[in-house]
Amino acid sequence: MTGPEERTGVLLGEVRTGLLQHSVELSRPAALQLLDLRHGERVRSSTRPNQQVRSPDLLTGVDCPLPTGSRRAVRGVGTALTHAVLTEGRVLQASVRARVGERGAGLRLPWGHYLARPGTVEPTGPVTDADLVGGHLLTGPPAGRLDLGALAERLLTDLQGRPQLDRRAPFKSRRTRLLWSCEPGPPAARFTIEDGTLRTLRLSLEQADPEAVTAFCEDLALHDWLLTTLVQLVDRSGLGSVPGAEPVLRLRPAVNHLLHLWMPGARVDRVLAQVWGHLESSPGFTRQWAAAVQRIRDQLALQAVGLAAPVGER
Amino acid sequence: METTFREASADPRTAALPLAHLSLELGHLYMDDFAAGPVRLREHFARIRPWVDAARESCAGAVGRRPRISTCFLIDDYFTRFSSPAEVVPQIVEEAARAGLVIDYLARESACAEAGPVRPAQLVEARLVPSPPPGSTGSRPPATETGWLSNGERSPVDSLAEAMSETAGWRPPREIEARRHSVFLDVELWDEQHGRRTWSCPFLAAVWQLLRLGLLRDQGQEVLRPAEAPQDLPGSWDALAPLVRLNPGAAPFAAYRTFSVLAGRFLPIEHAVAVILDQWSPEEAVLRQLAERARQEGVALPDGVRARVEYLFTGPS
Repeated sequence: MTGPEERTGVLLGEVRTGLLQHSVELSRPAALQLLDLRHGERVRSSTRPNQQVRSPDLLTGVDCPLPTGSRRAVRGVGTALTHAVLTEGRVLQASVRARVGERGAGLRLPWGHYLARPGTVEPTGPVTDADLVGGHLLTGPPAGRLDLGALAERLLTDLQGRPQLDRRAPFKSRRTRLLWSCEPGPPAARFTIEDGTLRTLRLSLEQADPEAVTAFCEDLALHDWLLTTLVQLVDRSGLGSVPGAEPVLRLRPAVNHLLHLWMPGARVDRVLAQVWGHLESSPGFTRQWAAAVQRIRDQLALQAVGLAAPVGER
Repeated sequence: METTFREASADPRTAALPLAHLSLELGHLYMDDFAAGPVRLREHFARIRPWVDAARESCAGAVGRRPRISTCFLIDDYFTRFSSPAEVVPQIVEEAARAGLVIDYLARESACAEAGPVRPAQLVEARLVPSPPPGSTGSRPPATETGWLSNGERSPVDSLAEAMSETAGWRPPREIEARRHSVFLDVELWDEQHGRRTWSCPFLAAVWQLLRLGLLRDQGQEVLRPAEAPQDLPGSWDALAPLVRLNPGAAPFAAYRTFSVLAGRFLPIEHAVAVILDQWSPEEAVLRQLAERARQEGVALPDGVRARVEYLFTGPS
């Protein structure tokens, strides 16, 4: 059932990341309760190096054409795995993945066959990994094709609407989407910022453990969201253009809720830690983060000692 | 220097259960069976005896050595309460013995709904993954009606808007795995009255199969641990443990496969059980554990849960 030949195949996934719609950080017990999505299954949580709670995996059955770059229709049948991750009671992520496994028999098999391979979608006909990756990353799902994003969105919407959340987020932010794929091959990664909220990551690895790859993509999505959100907050604060204490006041939520969350690669598998390493050297996530944080701290310090000069005053 | 760091809460463990090769079910007892007196039980055990022998032989042939087989018997104390363990249990054991059969384990059907702090039926419900009709892309939630599970696509319901349009018309239901023609089945899983949920008989029977297959866990822990039979059987079913080991030398209760010898009248219920099991997703860790154990023991174990369940139906009643 889990023979080495089944480890191959391409992984497709999507992570949607956003601010938990709640006025304060969700406590650990409340977070465990929020992410208790499946009766009888443990919610996983860890407290080092920061607090993270992960829901059990949910399965959704699909039977539809797979996304292909060539637009050729290949029917796939199986299940996608969805779960939620809450970091420091503040940043909520919905993560979906499906492994496109070995080629099926041409017809749909009894459903028990697919349930014995959770998180695997089997194509009923031939299709190349490159074609699948192309379809998933570059075109997005046209109507009627496998739609992993819809699963993530539904989970996020469901959780954000739960009654235990007061829907009073401390600041405005945008959700980001990371579409990712991982195919067998020599280690390589291509991360692309497609627009304000969409990112893609095309990975190839010799041996891909689906769970480790998913965790890595969640970590990358989390830090990309943090950076995007902090930069937006700095922009909106008018730092450098608006005089007086105003920008500092506007940056307060960033200081209160975001600055301590930066811990890239904290829960990342050794092989994938190298990928983080490369992303750190270029473009340099942490460098940009550190510069933004330093700028905020400098402003705070200047305000504290009353040295902040109004703009235009030399 | 190699260092490792681990948080137990981040990395949950899954308990492994002792396993027999085969769990052999010797029948269900309902109130009307009991009301019909010991003769009914006697007839039942005498009728199934040859099939039980055949099941044992078949298992031994498949395993290739002395197989571990445990027998079990289920008593319905969920829908109707009748008599008492003190009266019923010795009668069953005695009538079985008369036919040369030994009952290793006795279970109460209500334990499939509730066993102490554990809710087995709820554990099963949480892992139902409806089989997707063709065209399911994930963009819409699975079309499960609360409390019902089918083996296909239902005949569309005419809503008011549809009824007023020209195009509205009857369309047949369709079994997803149909071979040319459909045998569509829609199973009621539970109903609710005054806020109290009552699980359906087929649903509890599906839970029963999963318990016997050793596939259920609650927070990674065993769900039903067999209790030793008390010296004196109690006067009420509630006072009896959910699962009792009547034979101290019995093989483990849970097994790689199950075989049930049942009266023909159970056929529709077991069809419904098949529809439920077909759409039930086992925990991956448990599935892996069982596959690994089977591999070590050289036992052939099918991937799908339903393929681990076999029946023999006898007679009309």
